[in-house]
Amino acid sequence: MNTVHHPIRPSLRIRTSRTAALSRAAVWLLALSAPAAGAFAAGAAPAPAAPSAPVISSAPAAPLTSAGAQSATGAQSATGAAGGTRALDEQVQDLKKQTIELNRDLFILEEELLFPANTQVAVFVSVDVGDFFALDSITLKIDNREVSDYLYTPREDSALLKGGVQRLYVGNLKSGQHELVAFFNGKGPNNRYYRRAASVKFEKGVGAKYLELKITDLQHAQQPEFQIKDWE
Amino acid sequence: MALNRYLGRWLAGLLGLAALMLVGITAAAAAPLNLVGQAAPDFALPAVDGDNVRLSEYLGQPVIVTFWSSRCAVCAAQLARLDRLYDTYRSSGLVVLAVSVDSDLSRAQRYARAHATHFPLLLDQAETVGRAYAIDRLPTAVLIDRSGVIRYVHDNDRSEDRSYITQIRALLDDADEAPQSALGSSGN
Repeated sequence: MNTVHHPIRPSLRIRTSRTAALSRAAVWLLALSAPAAGAFAAGAAPAPAAPSAPVISSAPAAPLTSAGAQSATGAQSATGAAGGTRALDEQVQDLKKQTIELNRDLFILEEELLFPANTQVAVFVSVDVGDFFALDSITLKIDNREVSDYLYTPREDSALLKGGVQRLYVGNLKSGQHELVAFFNGKGPNNRYYRRAASVKFEKGVGAKYLELKITDLQHAQQPEFQIKDWE
Repeated sequence: MALNRYLGRWLAGLLGLAALMLVGITAAAAAPLNLVGQAAPDFALPAVDGDNVRLSEYLGQPVIVTFWSSRCAVCAAQLARLDRLYDTYRSSGLVVLAVSVDSDLSRAQRYARAHATHFPLLLDQAETVGRAYAIDRLPTAVLIDRSGVIRYVHDNDRSEDRSYITQIRALLDDADEAPQSALGSSGN
């Protein structure tokens, strides 16, 4: 499939074809963008509520010679064009804002459709301090099936150390007992390769299940500690 | 008469087979070029120096992704050429990533140490990235614009420096604000 250059995220285009609700939203987007397209086609005519309107009406009322009248007309048209451009720019900014909001709504809608609360399981990662461990990768297994293998770049490490929380995995599980095993790879104390695992057995109920993989420092042991916290 | 008919059918079959093979070879040769205009598949790989590198982190900068192997005789010259270009244009924002398609990790590491460059040499032991970019010959260089779209593909070592420079300059001059990520998603 060829990718057409478009200001909207490509994932949005994929989403619009998934459900009827999403396609309705796409129609809404087209309807929103129609006035702007019209404005471009009509040679950027100023909107009725253009901020330039007061400027035009406040032109001097003194008697004008023909040359003066011409220059005044020229100034008026220049001011009008500037006002029109400004109005158009505002319209474009407004459209951009609406597109972002629409994208956000579609994202939420997609999440609700793909991962309904009664089956949703999400796994988050957070790092606290991190003096004794530099994260390189995390491999996640649920019920002995690998569901995620994520490599961390220095930038992502830094974001986690600043307090960021990453959603490592989101998926669907049926109700009942499940087991999650996380393998942490990285550099441990003394800059040596370090690999540890942590596991938890959890009960998936009717609501969404949130689990957090926490990497903390054990100051007294001079070692990192890996915990899995159940947020239900 | 029957023999002539038999020979005719045999020849027609042979010609058909040859045509099929030709179509297959042409399609295979054109595979990397089909990437042009598409979103570059995202990836995260470990570098020989130890850090991990993710392509999508360079969104907003022109990127050259080149593929090499320790078994490729002309890849060293390609890496040296890209290193020169990188030294020239890195201050303008150019990023170069060299991805190994070796399945033998230790061999790739030895080669990388012997051919040190100023840009990261990445190890793709699982060969997932090479597959994602449909690499079927080496060296191959993929030039990606600021918005994450593949603009040019060089799949031979005969490309002149001048053609690289022209294309790199075009990517650097393309100062349009990067739109939303066009990079293809990756499981990693």
